[in-house]
Amino acid sequence: MIAVKLDYDDKIRKVVITGDFFVYPETALREIENAIVGSSANETDAAMREKIVAKVEAAGAELLGITPEAIVSTIKMAMK
Amino acid sequence: MRWRVIGLEVHDAYFNMAADETIGKAVKEGRALPTIRFYKWFPSAVSIGCFQSLEDEVDVEKCDELGVDYVRRRTGGGAVYHDSNGEITYSVIAPQNMFPKGIRESYRLICGMIVDGLAGIGISAEFVPINDIVVNGKKISGNAQTRRDGILTQHGTVLYKLDLQTMFQVLKVSGEKISDKAIKSVEERVTCVTNQADVTEENLYKSLLDAFTKDREFEFGRLSEEERSETEKLASYVYSTRAWNFNR
Repeated sequence: MIAVKLDYDDKIRKVVITGDFFVYPETALREIENAIVGSSANETDAAMREKIVAKVEAAGAELLGITPEAIVSTIKMAMK
Repeated sequence: MRWRVIGLEVHDAYFNMAADETIGKAVKEGRALPTIRFYKWFPSAVSIGCFQSLEDEVDVEKCDELGVDYVRRRTGGGAVYHDSNGEITYSVIAPQNMFPKGIRESYRLICGMIVDGLAGIGISAEFVPINDIVVNGKKISGNAQTRRDGILTQHGTVLYKLDLQTMFQVLKVSGEKISDKAIKSVEERVTCVTNQADVTEENLYKSLLDAFTKDREFEFGRLSEEERSETEKLASYVYSTRAWNFNR
């Protein structure tokens, strides 16, 4: 289960992704959150997903119980 | 490789979590052997995964009222109620190169020891990836692993008996009130040793100990004075603090 805490106006200012998932290494989650910060609030799902995937790959990270798609979907729902 | 086994001890939540970190550091620095420890929690406590929000998962006021501690783990995963009289917890702390490189495979390997331990008291359990152990489809053990600085730490619980009333009070179950229906729903998904076999907690512990040490060269040991001191400091300055526990 994933939730987000979000600060945004026309851009996403802060995002904290919470839930009962696993990320290896754990530090990669903060990098994913930082990659999302600064995104336009109207950014497409695909563009946001690409940022997350790029960060996961750069970090050599493994996500268990969470996916880039789920992160995007949760953030978009939080902004509705 | 020789292992150190720290037999069943009882500590509070902060000490328990700090000990894992302290032992990991000691193992990394060559001051301690790879370690398996068994422990219980007193007072009873809730631990949450490192990515969870404490306030989202735990009724902090109710915990304070009931004298139940709450602590953030270094591992991911979900919120767990650790009943002082209801479970045995283990930690395996060792260089990660002693385990399969794949995270899923290493979960399977370590959880396999719990499956063996349960078999030793006549309970047929199976590992369900990523990190659960179930009996007839009902969860009896949850586990969580972290790998930091070349050290693998996996800890998990084996439920001896269930106290659903307290669990429902201290864990925030989304939108659900404590009801007979809610409790029945959990009873359909979770089980414990006493629901499956007529064994004492001591027999459970002995069987787990046998399973975790089978085919391993090991010695019984305790935390060194240095480890104990470091653990107590870490418990005091990190794991029991609001800054740590409410950091998400």
